[in-house]
Amino acid sequence: MQNPSIVLYGPGSAKLEDKPVPEIVDGHDVIVRIAFVGVCGSDVHFWNHGGIGKHVDLTAGIVMGHEASGTISSIGPAVTCVSVGDRVAIEPGVPCRFCSYCRSGSYHLCKDMRFAAAPGPPDTQGTLCKYFKVAEDFVYKVGDEMSLEETVLVEPTSVAVHAVKLADVRAGETVVVMGSGTIGLLCAAVARAFGAYRIILVDILDTKLEFAKLFLGCETFKPSTTASAEENASSLRSSLNLSSTCIDTVIEASGAAASIETGINVLRPGGKYVQTGMGKPKIEFPIGMISEKELMVRGCFRYGAGDYELAVSLLTRAIINVKPLISSTTRFEEATEAWKKTARGEGIKNLIRGVDD
Amino acid sequence: MSSATTTATDTNPAFVLRAIKDVAFENRPIPQLRDPHDVRVHIAQTGICGSDVHYWQRGRIGDFILSSPIILGHESSGTVVDVGSSVTNLKVGDRVAIEPGVPCRRCDYCRAGDYNLCNDTIFAATPPWDGTLAKYYTVASDYCYKIPDHMDMEEAAMVEPVSVAVQICKVADVRANQTIVVFGAGPIGVLSQAVAKASGAKKVIAVDISQARLDFAKSYAADETFLPPQAEQGEDPVAHSEKTAKMIKEQFGLGEGADVVLECTGAEPCIQAGINVARKGGTYVQAGMGKENVVFPITTACIRALTIKGSIRYSVGCYPNAVHLVATGKVDVKRLITNRFKFEEAEKAFELVKAAQEGVFKVVIEGVQ
Repeated sequence: MQNPSIVLYGPGSAKLEDKPVPEIVDGHDVIVRIAFVGVCGSDVHFWNHGGIGKHVDLTAGIVMGHEASGTISSIGPAVTCVSVGDRVAIEPGVPCRFCSYCRSGSYHLCKDMRFAAAPGPPDTQGTLCKYFKVAEDFVYKVGDEMSLEETVLVEPTSVAVHAVKLADVRAGETVVVMGSGTIGLLCAAVARAFGAYRIILVDILDTKLEFAKLFLGCETFKPSTTASAEENASSLRSSLNLSSTCIDTVIEASGAAASIETGINVLRPGGKYVQTGMGKPKIEFPIGMISEKELMVRGCFRYGAGDYELAVSLLTRAIINVKPLISSTTRFEEATEAWKKTARGEGIKNLIRGVDD
Repeated sequence: MSSATTTATDTNPAFVLRAIKDVAFENRPIPQLRDPHDVRVHIAQTGICGSDVHYWQRGRIGDFILSSPIILGHESSGTVVDVGSSVTNLKVGDRVAIEPGVPCRRCDYCRAGDYNLCNDTIFAATPPWDGTLAKYYTVASDYCYKIPDHMDMEEAAMVEPVSVAVQICKVADVRANQTIVVFGAGPIGVLSQAVAKASGAKKVIAVDISQARLDFAKSYAADETFLPPQAEQGEDPVAHSEKTAKMIKEQFGLGEGADVVLECTGAEPCIQAGINVARKGGTYVQAGMGKENVVFPITTACIRALTIKGSIRYSVGCYPNAVHLVATGKVDVKRLITNRFKFEEAEKAFELVKAAQEGVFKVVIEGVQ
């Protein structure tokens, strides 16, 4: 095979197939030899349901994967940022560059965004392959001291950077992160890098909170699944000696309705809330409290201008150590095992190794 | 490519700056579409800017140095005659205002939305790039803005300086109910005054050393005008600027000072007076270009916690806003055009702008028919 690829055809149905090796057409494109691909909650959703919103075409299938690292194997004639052999993190979504969003610095909101493993039409193939083509300004060099396994984590770290920037976390703040999965842990780590003074991670699972304490040395809180949001918020504050005017920022990284409501309750008047977790599309929401407490509430989607650069810097300078988040590595041919493992809640970040030589 | 309205015998006369003070008409090849996003425009009208005259007379502005011939002109309007295969916002026959600076779209500035800061911008008539004073000009389609039927081609050419004024007010973050002092009542000054009024400013004060220009500014958009007294013999120039600022504050009841100062002259005494006329915590925007280094009241800027920003060209949203301001009549650009020339008279037009007579305001050159 020239370009072995993992193709999803529908729920529970994936095949290893050969695909054409991508060719450089635009002078600014590069081809990356994929080293490692991470598994995300969205991959699990695709494996179980065949898509999120738009579903995979059952006859054509789609190459999966969007969190990837690799080495540059060829470059277009206009490329100046990277050379063949460079080790890179891949930003898996290339925008159109011509629309008003692209021109105004919000390329991540581009209507014609081509995001890896996103069904269309037009479909955009993902990174679970041997060779992946992408624009030169969407790959980021990493130093030799960073492994290509860790480099996969640049993608979720960029999600965290985007959330923390939207939350406008400043030095000295008290920040609560709801949900202690990969994204929640990284949001907490980035918030600390931005100068937050107290960081509290919230989750309903003891194992996740134990890990958070070890990984970050942060404070934690376990809400009751039977108490109301108001009661949980009150418990959180009193157990951590925080008054109702202390918590500046909440980053919601679980998407769970109860967690969302608790997050709004826990904030001080004038506080800031960013929704990065994705759960049920419609929920019951304490809209009255938004007004009474004059909260800033923002949505957060993927990552935009400057986020990947900052994520690479945080990892390269070892301000955030992502090694403890890597729980397993699975052979390319057994990629679906990695998805199933993640689906069972085993491990934090499970990796799939790229195609062997 | 799709239907082009140029023929095999078509020519492309161009007004070329060959070297400092050396201009000539040349027949240049008709520019071809470079990629599927390009359009070719038959130029209708072109305004002349101080920067065009500066390249002609001095051959450089900052690091942009004339080292080979360039076609002049960058404030233009025209009709689309050819569109690339990926163009969706325009079709052949559309009348457009042209934004003359197209950035690279890939660098950190472009990706962050600050495309006016892109180092690889292709800017018409900034060396080494050719400008718009030719029969045809090609440009990326998203840098061409369709104008409504009731707007004429002269007004469309004026969209460029209006966009400069829109950018100045955007950088200054002009808000409703502010007091604004604008130094300079030339085209950029009066347009900045007009855009400030359109943004809801409470009071706009124009400052200039020409009474005639102030009279026009008062009839145009300014609420008040101010003619600074001349410095007395032997008077320290900095002290004179401070006095000027004090007089402005007192005469117009500005209290601690103006919320916003727009400096549209680049003249050292105006820069000094501008810093002194801003209120504590106010905003000062440098738009005018004069001496590269000046004596600057830096301690005043510090003690009074001023925000000082530079404004260059135009960025996201400026051109569409400018088209809207002209189309709705909120900014009347026709009144600024004092002299009109045919394409063949382009050199005369440049000489007129260079002579800087008081009655000459905005000069436009018609395109090749």
